[in-house]
Amino acid sequence: MKKYVIILPTLLFLLVFFLLPIFLIMVESVYQPQKGWVINKYVQFFTQRVSRVAYTRSLTISLLVTVVSLAIGYPSALAIVNIANDSLKSLLMTLVVFPLMTNSVARTFSWLAVLGREGLINNLLISLKLIDSPKRLLYTPGAVFFGLLQLFLPLMVISLVSALENLPKEVPLAAKSLGANALNLFTKIYIPLTVEGIVAGSTLVFTGCITAYVTPAVLGGSRVLMLSTLLYQKTSVTLDWSMATVIAVVMFVTTLAVNYLSRKISSLGVSKQ
Amino acid sequence: MKKIFLGIIMSLIAVTAFCAAKLNVSTWGFNLDLLDKNISKPFLEKYGVEIVREVGNNSVRLTKLISQKSNPVIDVVHFVDYYAMLAVKEGLLQPIDVSKLKNYTEIYDFAKDPIGGNYGIGYTVYSMGIVYRTDKIKGPITSWKDFWNKEVAGHISLPDITTTQGPALMMLFNEIYGGNAYDPELKAAFEKLNQLKKNVVTFYKTSSELINLFKMGEVWMAPVQRFSWGQFLDTGLPLAWVTPKEGMPGFLNVISIVKGAKNLEEAYKYIDFMISQEVQYAEAMDLVDSPVNVNVTVPQDIAEKLTYGVDHIKSLIFYKTDFIVENYDKWINKWNELIAQ
Repeated sequence: MKKYVIILPTLLFLLVFFLLPIFLIMVESVYQPQKGWVINKYVQFFTQRVSRVAYTRSLTISLLVTVVSLAIGYPSALAIVNIANDSLKSLLMTLVVFPLMTNSVARTFSWLAVLGREGLINNLLISLKLIDSPKRLLYTPGAVFFGLLQLFLPLMVISLVSALENLPKEVPLAAKSLGANALNLFTKIYIPLTVEGIVAGSTLVFTGCITAYVTPAVLGGSRVLMLSTLLYQKTSVTLDWSMATVIAVVMFVTTLAVNYLSRKISSLGVSKQ
Repeated sequence: MKKIFLGIIMSLIAVTAFCAAKLNVSTWGFNLDLLDKNISKPFLEKYGVEIVREVGNNSVRLTKLISQKSNPVIDVVHFVDYYAMLAVKEGLLQPIDVSKLKNYTEIYDFAKDPIGGNYGIGYTVYSMGIVYRTDKIKGPITSWKDFWNKEVAGHISLPDITTTQGPALMMLFNEIYGGNAYDPELKAAFEKLNQLKKNVVTFYKTSSELINLFKMGEVWMAPVQRFSWGQFLDTGLPLAWVTPKEGMPGFLNVISIVKGAKNLEEAYKYIDFMISQEVQYAEAMDLVDSPVNVNVTVPQDIAEKLTYGVDHIKSLIFYKTDFIVENYDKWINKWNELIAQ
């Protein structure tokens, strides 16, 4: 019993300030005091083109960012873990964490300087004679993608590094001595043993992407409407709070579903070994 | 230990009690440094009341008022006239007792009760014209129709429907292309916008955002409100102001008192102060707000940059605010359908 007492403060806090509000929002999205139980707002959400487009766009971009950050993050994490020099290792880790210490608004605005018509990329391409007039890079889905990728890649790397740190150094060595090639080593040793880190990192990145507001708002603007910017518009502009509630629930359920699926997939992958 | 702690608490309470009285004002986040200089500082010196501002565009601030309806934090709110009407419709404002305002007789008649029921006092009027980069666009730019020119395609920005000037611009487009501003569907305007949307860099939501877009070289031409013209000139870019031949929409900003405001006395002082000759003059000289106080006279070079003078104000197109209020939700939905492909 005693050992459960120490988690009480956190449990209480989460119950009052997180679980209860989420529950209330869930109820509010399907129950209206005057009308009783209704699902018309959900029907509206999935039938209206605006919300459908915003939802699929949010999903696509978030999944892409998650997959790409995993693809880039894994080799980097592996490299960092295998560095023998401790001070170099901690320097690299600091560099990884560094972007997380800068404000996301400031970071997003620096993208404007990079992607702008007179920004770094356009000027570079023009000076290399690759294009003759500046291209519009801002206010496109691509701009949102890169903005989010830069924002959440560190979370992926950190999750993977901590997972790889826990992997005994002898295991890969033993596998090699038993004749495992690089591919085998990766699919049979590394991935199954770091699956927790992969799931944790993917969940963090995906959740971050689907709920991010500043990056889509600044880099996507009104042309690239996403779920979070639509939610903001519903609450702050059109005052359609019942629709906003539905969007919030859809976001929440989507995140849970993706987390559940990634666990499922990874456990299937592991059990096959 | 406990005594020390108690002492700290007590002294904190004492300090806050002796602080200046406060007035919570909800307004736009534009020209804040000048608002401090021309309004907050003299107001504090004169009445000993500190102005605390909460800033944002119309729609965001209206939402906040709605969410705080049962226990308002804001005392006084600045809106463009039709947003003030929306607020009245939501039951958020209280009528102003104009007999308490010493300077009330000094303002133009059209500013005295612009939204009816004394729910708002007009304190500044401004127009919307076109601003463009003279080094990038040969022009000549003379008409609202010039936004559809090939030369400017991909370098223009338009206001989002949720901004102060969004609905007025759409009504103007409907008048130009459909012959009538008062079409509840704005059919002609939306059709023309559909042709134009791929050429629009982004639909801006605040004046500050638009100035940034000009600074970054993203945008060369856009509809601009007169009160931000001074800031556009400060960018040092080669810019010109165009008064289009079809005319310019006019806007009136109003100050209102929130229903259940906790600092009512200070609120009246503030409104009276805002329409006084000295504040209106200071704001005009800094190109912040064009005056509605008839006793304000400014030199020629300043007047040219403001929405100034009886004749000039008479020439503006003021669209009926109740028509906008009536159709606003519908327009926002149509806009979303069109813009967020």
